[in-house]
Amino acid sequence: MDIVLAAAADAFTWQALLAIVVGTWAGIIIGGLPGLGSVVGLTIFLPFTFGMDVITSMALLIGVYCGSVYGGSITAILINTPGTPQAAATTFDGYPMTQQGRVGEALGWATFASFFGGVLSCVMLIVGAPQLAKFAVNFGSIEVFALVCLAMLCIVGVSRGSTLKGILCGMMGFLFSMVGSDPITGADRFTFGQYALSSGLTLIPVVVGAFALSEIFVRFASRDDEAARIPEARLTFPGLRDIGRRMVELLRGSFIGGFIGALPGTGAAAAAFISYASAQKLSPRRQHLGKGEPDGLIASESSNNAVTGSSFIPTLALGIPGDVVTAMMMGAMVIHGITPGVRLMADQAQTVYALFVVLIIVNVAMLILSKPSIGLFRYLFKLPQGFVMGGIVMFSFIGAVSVRGNPLDLIVAAVTGLLAYVLRRGGYPLAPLVIGMVLGPELESSLRRGLLISRGDFSAFFTHSTIASVLFVLIALFIAGTLWSGFSQWRKDRAAAGTPAA
Amino acid sequence: MSALRHSLVAAALVGITQSAAADNLDFVVPFAAGGATDIVARSFEPIFSEQLGVTSVIRNVAGASATVGTAEVAKSEGNPNIIGYEPAGALSIQPSLKDLPYGPESFTYVCRTVSNPMFLMVSKDSDIDSIDQLIEESREYPFLYGSSGPGTLPHLAMAALTVKSDLQAQHVPYSGSGPAMNALAGNEIQIMADTETILENYDLKPLAVFAEQRVEGYEDVPTFKELGMQDLEFSVWQGVVAPKGISQERADAFADACRATVESDRFKTFADKSGVSIDYLGPEDFKDFVARRVEVNQQVLKDAGLTE
Repeated sequence: MDIVLAAAADAFTWQALLAIVVGTWAGIIIGGLPGLGSVVGLTIFLPFTFGMDVITSMALLIGVYCGSVYGGSITAILINTPGTPQAAATTFDGYPMTQQGRVGEALGWATFASFFGGVLSCVMLIVGAPQLAKFAVNFGSIEVFALVCLAMLCIVGVSRGSTLKGILCGMMGFLFSMVGSDPITGADRFTFGQYALSSGLTLIPVVVGAFALSEIFVRFASRDDEAARIPEARLTFPGLRDIGRRMVELLRGSFIGGFIGALPGTGAAAAAFISYASAQKLSPRRQHLGKGEPDGLIASESSNNAVTGSSFIPTLALGIPGDVVTAMMMGAMVIHGITPGVRLMADQAQTVYALFVVLIIVNVAMLILSKPSIGLFRYLFKLPQGFVMGGIVMFSFIGAVSVRGNPLDLIVAAVTGLLAYVLRRGGYPLAPLVIGMVLGPELESSLRRGLLISRGDFSAFFTHSTIASVLFVLIALFIAGTLWSGFSQWRKDRAAAGTPAA
Repeated sequence: MSALRHSLVAAALVGITQSAAADNLDFVVPFAAGGATDIVARSFEPIFSEQLGVTSVIRNVAGASATVGTAEVAKSEGNPNIIGYEPAGALSIQPSLKDLPYGPESFTYVCRTVSNPMFLMVSKDSDIDSIDQLIEESREYPFLYGSSGPGTLPHLAMAALTVKSDLQAQHVPYSGSGPAMNALAGNEIQIMADTETILENYDLKPLAVFAEQRVEGYEDVPTFKELGMQDLEFSVWQGVVAPKGISQERADAFADACRATVESDRFKTFADKSGVSIDYLGPEDFKDFVARRVEVNQQVLKDAGLTE
């Protein structure tokens, strides 16, 4: 108990609290600006931490990280442009709610779901880190391949209108992700002899082009000023009764996010898509999903924020960073003389407990700071439309190029923007393109590593482990279920079409 | 159309603020911010620019195994205001592996800063205690070794070992040391070659060291030479390069600043804390060292069938 109190005392210094407030607020703003996401935010703040003590610097960075994951939802809801890739699934129901004039409700749900998911994942981290970490180690290449296959199936769920068009866009995203170095041999491929392409296409420039730039093009092209107007941002928190009614959705989203966060190499964007797909199968209000249903927002926002806490599980328990963001956190720890690794929990218990306390305070701070942050966006979006649109284009390009300082990414963003505009005009959904980009590299490398491990025998995948077998059965059930409901729909349609004729 | 005009004004303003910073030293780090090399570079940079008496700005240019950022330095021939903080792979492996717009002769070598020998390691729970036993057991069922990516030093060191010994092992590349360690913990792979940092962080068992002499702190870990295997020395090092074609005066100034930096207490304290070993080489020695490494690595790639 002493150590917990000592840890809390470390976290409740004025320096740490100030770092949390500054970090979280800056994180929300950075996350909200399209193109600038968690990684860019952390890169901006990392140098400031060199002169701080370890708890203060972790407080600042965790604030930026959690804030940015939440902040991405604000622009996703207001202008149909996710501020970060993690918030791509938030647009599905967030923007329709805005169009129906329910901005306050949408932002309220997104904020509350983010807070709920964030806190629940802290609890998972505190209570179950060693067990979850041990379980996560069982996810080798073959298990990850099965999980990614399952996640890929959510493309079917998010391609509203035409499944075929959705699959085409998903394949396009997958193809984009293959440009550059081959993950197994290291050889260049699909570069057309251009050296610039050998570093490949990365996610942020493509997301920026597909969502932010194409949205700007659509708004410029539309002659209807009313449709292009950005509604005034408001924040109305859901009532207790509403929360109770949707508690199952909140819990499911948070647990999915919390679990996926604990697996190395998947991340918040994948968690949000998987959670959204599960809501499409399981929510009692699933028929309204995609038309402005809070359950969709909850699925996306609770799960992506639940990744924030649990992504520390492999980092703290095993010293293995789950994604780029936790890798940067680990780097910051190393600078301060803390070596993450298998013995961290035992050797540095007080620091680890202080981190837990910081994580919880950050989530509370996020809830409190949501109001002034949304107020700031309301002010920003009141500027003349040209400035707002110009600003979005500018930040999109800055975000695209700042990921790795490669000018190629500007071209990628611009070309993807034009392509996405054409695709939107043709009624092609863009979310599958992003899903293909997010999951493609992991799908390919886990398949090829799996084949190296099983020495070229694909049939060994199905019996490799219990986890793999269960996941493959789930995939089979999902496909069978989708085909069956499609078939019965087809029969019903045929019967309906047949009756008047007869 | 006024909307479009406003946008253009905003864009132009950004352009102006960007071009104001011309005479700064452009400090290229060919990795994403926050990675292992980036952190060393970020500790090196402020001391270095203080010694040199200039303002420097770190620019992370990541991608394609650090070759994109390295090419950025190489193509600035004659520009005295750009240097790169380089990892071993981009200077001594990638040029032999891929068709790159630079080669070993594209640079003015400034200094080598740090160097850490690599260890061959297995999981702590493994019942294998020596290289001989490892080789013996691999005859029955070949092992799998991990790496932080194709063409990285962990890959090369192991590939060289399989060529020079009877070890039967196959390569499985991961996207970095972290995922590879996860695979080792889950027994997906059994062997990994990497530095002391990895060895300590993940509590692994070292079987041998890829160095000429035994390493301080690991006196009971034999070198490969002692085990009768020649020419198996691999270390993970970093160094500073400038583009070729800069004046001798500028090159000397860079070299002096680098020497002063690695000898400073601030950098020493950092190196101690983060587990990198300072191992300075001056301009001439560094140049020769890289040339030798390029030759050795080329031979390994060829012997292992990774290049023609």
